[in-house]
Amino acid sequence: MAAQSTAAPRSRPGSARRPAASHRTRGPRRVWSFLPQYLAISPFFLVFLGFALVPVLFTLYLSFQRWDGIGDMHYVGLEQYRFLISDRTFWLALSNTLIIWVLATIPMLFIALVIAAMLNSTRRLTAFYRIAYFVPSVTSLVAIAIFFFAVFSSQFGLVNAALHAIGLPAVPWMSNPWTIKVVIALLMTWQWVGYNAIIYLAGLQAIPTELYEAARVDGAGPVQSFFRITIPLLRPIILFTVVVSTVTGLQSFTEPQVMFGSNASTNPNSGGPGQAGLTVMLYFYHQAFDNNDFGYGAAISWALFLVIMLIVAVNWRIVARTDR
Amino acid sequence: MRRRLRSRGLALHALLALGVVLCMFPFYWTIVMATNTTEDIYRYPPKLTFGSQLLVNVHKVLQNIDLFRAMLNSLLVACTATFLVLLVDSLAAFSFAKYRFPGRNLLFGLLIGMYLLPTQMALIPQFVLMVKLGWVGSLKPLVLPSLANAFGIFWMRQYIVGAVPDELIEAARLDGCGFLRQYWHVGLPAIRPGLAFLGIYTYVSVWNDYVWPLVVLVNPDRLTLQVALSQLNTTHNTDYSMVMAGAMIAVLPLVLVFLLFARNFIADATKGAVRG
Amino acid sequence: MELSRRRFIQASALAVTGAAAAAACGKSSSGTSAAKSSTLTLWYWGGGLSDKVVADTVKHFTAVTLKPSVIGGDFKQKLLTTMTGGKFVPDITGIKGEDIAGFLPRADRFIDLNTLGADKLAASYLPWKWKQGSTTDGKLIGFPIDIGPTAMFYREDLFAQAGLPTDPAAVGSAVSTWDDYFALGGRLKQALPKTFLLNNSGSVFSMVVGQGTTRFIDQSNHFVGDQDHIRRAWDLALRPQQLGINAKINDNSWNAAVGNGTLGTEIGAAWHALDISSAAPKTKGKWRVAAGPGGPANIGGSFLAIPKTSGNPQAAFEIISWLLSPENQARGFTDAALFPSSPASYKLPALTAPDPFFGGQATIDIFGPAAQKIPVAYEAPADAAVAAPYYSELTSIEAKGKDPAAAWSDAVSQAKSIAQKQGVSV
Repeated sequence: MAAQSTAAPRSRPGSARRPAASHRTRGPRRVWSFLPQYLAISPFFLVFLGFALVPVLFTLYLSFQRWDGIGDMHYVGLEQYRFLISDRTFWLALSNTLIIWVLATIPMLFIALVIAAMLNSTRRLTAFYRIAYFVPSVTSLVAIAIFFFAVFSSQFGLVNAALHAIGLPAVPWMSNPWTIKVVIALLMTWQWVGYNAIIYLAGLQAIPTELYEAARVDGAGPVQSFFRITIPLLRPIILFTVVVSTVTGLQSFTEPQVMFGSNASTNPNSGGPGQAGLTVMLYFYHQAFDNNDFGYGAAISWALFLVIMLIVAVNWRIVARTDR
Repeated sequence: MRRRLRSRGLALHALLALGVVLCMFPFYWTIVMATNTTEDIYRYPPKLTFGSQLLVNVHKVLQNIDLFRAMLNSLLVACTATFLVLLVDSLAAFSFAKYRFPGRNLLFGLLIGMYLLPTQMALIPQFVLMVKLGWVGSLKPLVLPSLANAFGIFWMRQYIVGAVPDELIEAARLDGCGFLRQYWHVGLPAIRPGLAFLGIYTYVSVWNDYVWPLVVLVNPDRLTLQVALSQLNTTHNTDYSMVMAGAMIAVLPLVLVFLLFARNFIADATKGAVRG
Repeated sequence: MELSRRRFIQASALAVTGAAAAAACGKSSSGTSAAKSSTLTLWYWGGGLSDKVVADTVKHFTAVTLKPSVIGGDFKQKLLTTMTGGKFVPDITGIKGEDIAGFLPRADRFIDLNTLGADKLAASYLPWKWKQGSTTDGKLIGFPIDIGPTAMFYREDLFAQAGLPTDPAAVGSAVSTWDDYFALGGRLKQALPKTFLLNNSGSVFSMVVGQGTTRFIDQSNHFVGDQDHIRRAWDLALRPQQLGINAKINDNSWNAAVGNGTLGTEIGAAWHALDISSAAPKTKGKWRVAAGPGGPANIGGSFLAIPKTSGNPQAAFEIISWLLSPENQARGFTDAALFPSSPASYKLPALTAPDPFFGGQATIDIFGPAAQKIPVAYEAPADAAVAAPYYSELTSIEAKGKDPAAAWSDAVSQAKSIAQKQGVSV
């Protein structure tokens, strides 16, 4: 399940053979002989072009306009971006998003790795465990956000009741800016930890046990073999999960939107008390659909895209240090 | 030595069991909330046991939203999208994995770039596009854009590279099979577990999709489940027991179906991944 | 149960027929405007109209079929998206009071109700409300549903426990100024330490702003959110927290707080009674209504409008005018606490009857005079967007303990830049 680079796949006997008919022919003849393959990959590229690439480019175009959704568009140059740079709420949203992402992703992936390691060393009930851990990721996010919101309610939620039962003071989960982020991060962690654990498990099971035995013969302890064997071999998978978690985590929208509701007549979709739950996507939604400022919304989403690209590049650098 | 292994095994199982409890607890609690009244939920200390209000709450849910039709719509959209994704992605991935056509590396590199593009940001133009196509308010906008996700091709390509022996393809070719035949007779049977995993993944993500349907499903008679559920959630008078009853009805079928088939799917998927 | 090839084919056949079915369903018409359509859709939000009155309206009009839909979630977003999409636009739609100002500049997307005969009914409705739903050049876009005269709801039983006056008239005079109101809150807290005067500073802020005649943008489209009237509202809003009588509830725990005695009073509009009774039905009989501090304001109160794409505007208007006749508005009050915008309703028994939730008090005694004294202020289309930072900063002070002076300057500077962005002069 590793994210392969564009280099040729690992050599397997016979994979280099080309169809004899087009051996050594170049140019159009050769391209024509591969027509079925081009046709096979075209649906995806066509759909992507039409439904993803073109809209994304249109967003770029839109970010240079002022548009309220119903009327005409007015060209305004870089005004939206200029406003964006000085917009304190945007930077607040960005820092919220980053903090939530860090709070969620790092513990989640680590716990997933630990769970995968544990699952790998049990022999019984593995199927049961795997299903049980995987189920949260198939649950409706809307339902779970509502659930978390109710359970972490500042005054009357289950969590505070439990804390009270063991003598700890109640925590204002939904009013304190930090705890709000923690709750959102907990939600994301809960939902995806099992999913990532299953992926890591698959990777762990692909590592031949002979490597571990050889290491043990050489005198390596469990920790050493974990860091010298497991992690390097899992690196492509880890990179994959980190990238996926980054791309989805930085775009989080559903959790704060559902949690803090949108029916307030003053300040809808504002991310809760102190705007602590305002993520960039939620801010984008607020600007576009509450303030009818679609041009500004477009600028916000492009700023987010750039941030995502930056962070993915950094992730790549950190995790994929050795090229396989 | 054996005693140490046994106690370690027990500790392991204890930890894993704790994790299972944490994973499963929200479901249990959702059912508790769905079977009580909203005031029971606000009680302090909260009620932890089942109540008798389930039918009352379900009735309230059905009064407020057309839950079953929304589920049906979600089912329809998810099935269609999953089928299309499996078809398109497996064909494309098969081509990328097993055939060296000109420009393959370039196109695959393009794919990677496309994967990193967070298409959610293009919400507005996609909406405008749907307006131009006249698809707003129907279920169509939910199906095609889900095809534009490169993850499926990545996963399938990786899987196919390992799972489909080149010799079999070569043999098929020598037997006179064209590309489609090779795909059908050689490729498909070998990648069944990979298809299963991708199928679940796609089905679940289409089922749970929230933002896009929220924007594009303007016809109140034609909603998907997530959007319908969120309509139960109002800030002023949220009737939590009703909302949880709705959530329970929404979640349980998916979980049950998953539980029924997952044993095989996950086993196959991990088995298959091992081969890769 | 392996995924055999046969199942794959079965599944694909099923999916293909499914897709075909979806495609077929998608082609349903949305009320073509070619001929006058005989099915009209009505969109409103939960509590926006009385469901019983709506049901009766459906029965009353036999020539057309009225199809009401209660839209949950973000109503304005749904309406806007639908209007942009051009399909499935409702034939009659509700518009919330806080949104009407934003829709007036787009009057060309709606039908001027005066052209359908609304001008003949103008005299039956409160003039300032009528004006609120009209454009500056006299087109009526929104037909008045309800208004939101404000008052103070209080827990009579808790007041009695705290040794405070309990009779509505006495309470009303005891809290006639904001200072008096906060002083009473202090006494309440002293006697009942677990009970706060009010839920958050935002409610005070919006009330004081509403009690004035100028809001955040004046008639010449100039930003005035940094001037004394707003500053006064801000300072008043902060006082409860300084005095320790602010419950600082900005989330959904309000539902529980209002029921279990954490909140001793609630300041809000007449429709707020529905929120209280829905959240805390067990407190029936314990609440009363008294005249609120600082005089009345108007908060909320919505309209019905007819989008330009409506299939049968004349029939739609007949439906609206029937649905919002004084008698039916009175029923709206009984069913959904929608305070009528037609003065004729105030004398009807539905309005003058005692309200069991309020222990048999005839709340018209409070809301009626309040409705007469509501000050009228100009609300610019950008008003809501410009006001938002103030509320955000207030919750920041409550949630994060942000320094009030810094919060004020942040609110003003943000409001200014938003105003600029919306085309307001600063």
